Amino acid sequence: MNDQRRRFEAQVLPHLDAAHNLARWLARSPDGADDIVQEAILRAFRSFDGFRGGDAKPWLLAIVRNCFFTTVAQTRQKMHVPLPEENASNDDGPLVDKSPDPEFTAIRAEQSRNLDQIVAGLPPEFREVLVLREMEDLSYRDIAQATGAPIGTVMSRLARARALLKERWLRDVEGVRHGMP
Amino acid sequence: MACPETLRVQAYFDGELDASASAEIERHVEACGECMALLRSLEAVHGAMRQPALYHRASPKLESRITAALNRETGNQWSLAGLILRPRQFWVGAASGVMATALAASLAFLVLLPPTSGQLINDVMGAHLRSLMENHLIDVASSDQHTVKPWFAGHADVSPPTADFPKEDYRLVGGRVDYVDGHRAAVLVYRHGAHTINVFSWARSGDALPNIVTRNGYHEVFWRSGDLVFCAVSDTALDELLGLVRLLKEIGTPDSRE
Repeated sequence: MNDQRRRFEAQVLPHLDAAHNLARWLARSPDGADDIVQEAILRAFRSFDGFRGGDAKPWLLAIVRNCFFTTVAQTRQKMHVPLPEENASNDDGPLVDKSPDPEFTAIRAEQSRNLDQIVAGLPPEFREVLVLREMEDLSYRDIAQATGAPIGTVMSRLARARALLKERWLRDVEGVRHGMP
Repeated sequence: MACPETLRVQAYFDGELDASASAEIERHVEACGECMALLRSLEAVHGAMRQPALYHRASPKLESRITAALNRETGNQWSLAGLILRPRQFWVGAASGVMATALAASLAFLVLLPPTSGQLINDVMGAHLRSLMENHLIDVASSDQHTVKPWFAGHADVSPPTADFPKEDYRLVGGRVDYVDGHRAAVLVYRHGAHTINVFSWARSGDALPNIVTRNGYHEVFWRSGDLVFCAVSDTALDELLGLVRLLKEIGTPDSRE
């Protein structure tokens, strides 16, 4: 194994889970996420010479994000499917079954599943800041680096994303509670 | 919905403010109902987003796909490498940014490491990195020393002195148990700005300890207090890590249960 490969594995591959988590939340499909991550890791490896030290995590996540948007653009060209943010039905809240369920544990599981769908239903620029901040603990500066947005934009997006998530989540919890017998 | 401080309250919650701005926001939140409510909902959203079920780790299948892809890639590189002398890229990286700081720090605190310490350094570093990667940072989440310390008594081999240092911006967020050096070490977890600091402690006798070690931008600071060995690990600047070490040394001698 050569020196380049060894350094890459030590500095970049520890962030494989983070790369996959971001790709999975952006692509919203397991197979799509795996393809994006593999492509991103290869691109990262090929451009590793240009990586100037520091934290590899935001650097890698920026590549993951670019791979995702490239894939979306290609898919749209080929198949004319709408971009995720153009999917208007998501704005009406998550498409979940809110039928009554007598089992409290089932409701809890349902809520966790619903939360998954609520996050997945947010516009991609909101999803990514939530994932990067709440799950990956990236600083504002690192999120700005990973998403290519100014720090001020990161802060306001994060605030709007959190407010929207909370609003939809509360509406969902209320819906489940009111549906109880 | 009009308080002009909401973005700064959010920045406070995210650990992005310095100590004096944090103190200002703390005073503000006490007087502003809207911002108090905002802090609570930030906590609720944060808690919800941290559910392990929402985190999608890479599958073993993906890992092996990537290893195979890198093998194909490196195969190509080897055929090139045979013909072209590759420059020493590492030193280009080392000369800039964090690497330079780390290098300077390790030179400044150069110590002759005892022969057994290599394993120990790797143990602690491995435990720190796993805690950041595997969604297993905290077993007991609390900023209250009276909750965390008794929890250690039931779960770890030792129960170290525990304190929160909000004024100095070292916020205790919880505790964890980790295997280090063959012991069930008690781990205090602190947030400092956007950084996580793990403070390991375990009972160990006799052997010489490393002092300060820097690897890949992470610092490890070792010290001994009473019967316990401590190690603080983080990617913060070294002087910031030493700030927490100083505070921890001040809160006194631990009681070992071994």
